[in-house]
Amino acid sequence: MFKLNLFQSARSQALILLIPAFGVYTLFAIWPLIDVVILSFQEWNGISADRKWVGWENYNYIFNNDPVFWVSLKNTVIWTILSIVFPPLVGLLLAIGLNQKLFGRASLRAIYYLPVIIAPIAVATMWRWMYDPFFGLFTQILTDMGLGFLARDWLGDRNIALYSMFVAYVWQHVGFSMVLFLAGLQGVQSTLIDAARIDGASRFEIFRYVTLPALSPTITIVLVLSTISSLRAFDIVYGMTGGGPAQSTQMLAMWAFTQSMQIFDFGRGSAVSVVLLVITLAIVIPYMRWSQAREEAVK
Amino acid sequence: MANVEISAVRKSYGALEVVHGVDIDIKDGEFVILVGPSGCGKSTLLRMIAGLEEISDGAVSIGGRVVNNLTPKERNIAMVFQNYALYPQMTVAQNMGFSLEISGKSKAEISSKVNSTAEILGLTPLLERKPSQLSGGQRQRVAMGRAIVRDPAVFLFDEPLSNLDANLRVQMRAEIKALHQRLGTTIVYVTHDQIEAMTMADRIVVLRGGVVEQMGTPMDLYDSPANMFVAGFLGSPSMNFLKGRLAADGSPGLTLEDGSEVKLQHSPQGTSNQAIVLGIRPQDIAVDPVNGTPAVIKVMEPTGADTHVLVELAGQDLVAVLPPRLKTTVGETIPLSFASPNVHFFDAASEANIPCDPKSEHDQ
Ligand SMILES: Nc1ncnc2c1ncn2[C@@H]1O[C@H](COP(=O)(O)OP(=O)(O)OP(=O)(O)O)[C@@H](O)[C@H]1O
Ligand SMILES: [Mg+2]
Repeated sequence: MFKLNLFQSARSQALILLIPAFGVYTLFAIWPLIDVVILSFQEWNGISADRKWVGWENYNYIFNNDPVFWVSLKNTVIWTILSIVFPPLVGLLLAIGLNQKLFGRASLRAIYYLPVIIAPIAVATMWRWMYDPFFGLFTQILTDMGLGFLARDWLGDRNIALYSMFVAYVWQHVGFSMVLFLAGLQGVQSTLIDAARIDGASRFEIFRYVTLPALSPTITIVLVLSTISSLRAFDIVYGMTGGGPAQSTQMLAMWAFTQSMQIFDFGRGSAVSVVLLVITLAIVIPYMRWSQAREEAVK
Repeated sequence: MANVEISAVRKSYGALEVVHGVDIDIKDGEFVILVGPSGCGKSTLLRMIAGLEEISDGAVSIGGRVVNNLTPKERNIAMVFQNYALYPQMTVAQNMGFSLEISGKSKAEISSKVNSTAEILGLTPLLERKPSQLSGGQRQRVAMGRAIVRDPAVFLFDEPLSNLDANLRVQMRAEIKALHQRLGTTIVYVTHDQIEAMTMADRIVVLRGGVVEQMGTPMDLYDSPANMFVAGFLGSPSMNFLKGRLAADGSPGLTLEDGSEVKLQHSPQGTSNQAIVLGIRPQDIAVDPVNGTPAVIKVMEPTGADTHVLVELAGQDLVAVLPPRLKTTVGETIPLSFASPNVHFFDAASEANIPCDPKSEHDQ
């Protein structure tokens, strides 16, 4: 009798601790998610009391009559591919470098991580200034080096604006991958490296046969998180270009926002969001399944 | 196959020196075991031979060639680690063939070597498994297989059996010894387990605090330990040490702190009344109702074959290995004789061995 009470009290304690968080989570995360899906089948201007049911009309519109949607989709795809290649790759290289016994490596780690903790909107503003075609840092440096002819209107030229923006994005995000890889590198068994050295492996072979396999769980996490964060890229676009010039840097998250909050067509905005959500899940879930299966095969 | 010469080798980490000038000459084909307490520098020394750790001073040569500046690969050695260090993503066969593969050997040659080695070690049915699907003993065998496949000049082992349970350890001990007899390759083996050292080694090197305390064959060290440390380290249960003074009249015997007398068969070289330590193995203590010194029994542990008895004598604890089924109990006194021919004497201050006085033996 008494024992039973003890168990019950442990369980009720867990519930007491979890219920408030669950309530908040439902209210601010799960409900909005459901509401966006509902809204994507409705027509609503954000103010009016009634939300009219329109079925697939919003999807029909964005797929068939909205050229900006396709531009955003294309840019989002390019952006995502670049984002799962470059920030993780640079982060890995930095992590390997900073994992060596190096003078001042703690400070260097902090410096490379610093951009991660700056608000994205501040990063956007900072880089917008540096990209200014007349007074910006890059134009200045090129001019001073006698390479003024290379200077461009970095964010104003629609052929390069997306890539200029991407450089700022990499600068902000490498620190994040770097820290995860550094943590992963701590988990590489030193006797395994010793064994490989005895077996005659070169530095590259040690990396290839010992370090990389040991990092594979970390790689999965970094790639999943990079994909998610690149798909929802919004602040940086909002702060640097607002999607311009001529929608050349428009992306799905930004376009969903613009549709809803600036054009006041919440139905279409929601439809764009749902498409983004589906793409995210379609990439992330199979990838995690696959890498989990692969890790289990090793274990 | 090759000999290994370690001369005046030192190792420092920054200002801290942990190996203080070690000289060991290992003959071709010899099985040498480095033994000593934790932190005495065994692994450091082995890793310097392997080329995993820089040699701060002195020289290591393998097969007559100084290897200080050679990579592990160029030294032609193979090493087996305590935690096996198998590549988790590779199969047993791939683990064993890894070194051959990266040195560019042909597929046929690799698989023939891997297969013949697997045959020796009984690993053939496990070749396609991953390390995670093996037991500890099987993993250790794979680690040994990986070393054997390369046919190195020297095998280095760093506490290879520490992660195994007691039964398996006994079995693997025999296997390693058999393997050494079969291959005839020089082995340098590190352990902190004196039984492993006694049972397997051609020669034991006892290390303490980064210096060699003594080296020699197992029985040499067992029969004539150079000091109290070596005496206490080898043998199980460990040797007893009894503090006392030599008898004032020069007769073979020891006067303990409480005035009680212990009769001995012979006495060490030295002056009467000198403070010394008597070293006697538990097996050399006997029950003797006539000449024995009474001691109080504190603990009795029957092991079946015999009884380990912890007694107190003049405030000092001693262990005696006595016959089974003793008719006495804890708290009673038992007359014990120390008059064995195999006792050792040590200087109380320096702890060094004092040789027996040859004259004293004629007195008997
Ligand atoms: N990288 C290092 N930096 C500083 N000191 C070290 C380092 N590696 C080992 N030491 C020190 O060197 C001494 C010898 O270490 P070593 O690993 O050789 O001991 P060991 O005899 O193998 O002990 P164990 O039986 O515990 O393995 C120890 O006091 C240890 O603290
Ligand atoms: Mg060690």
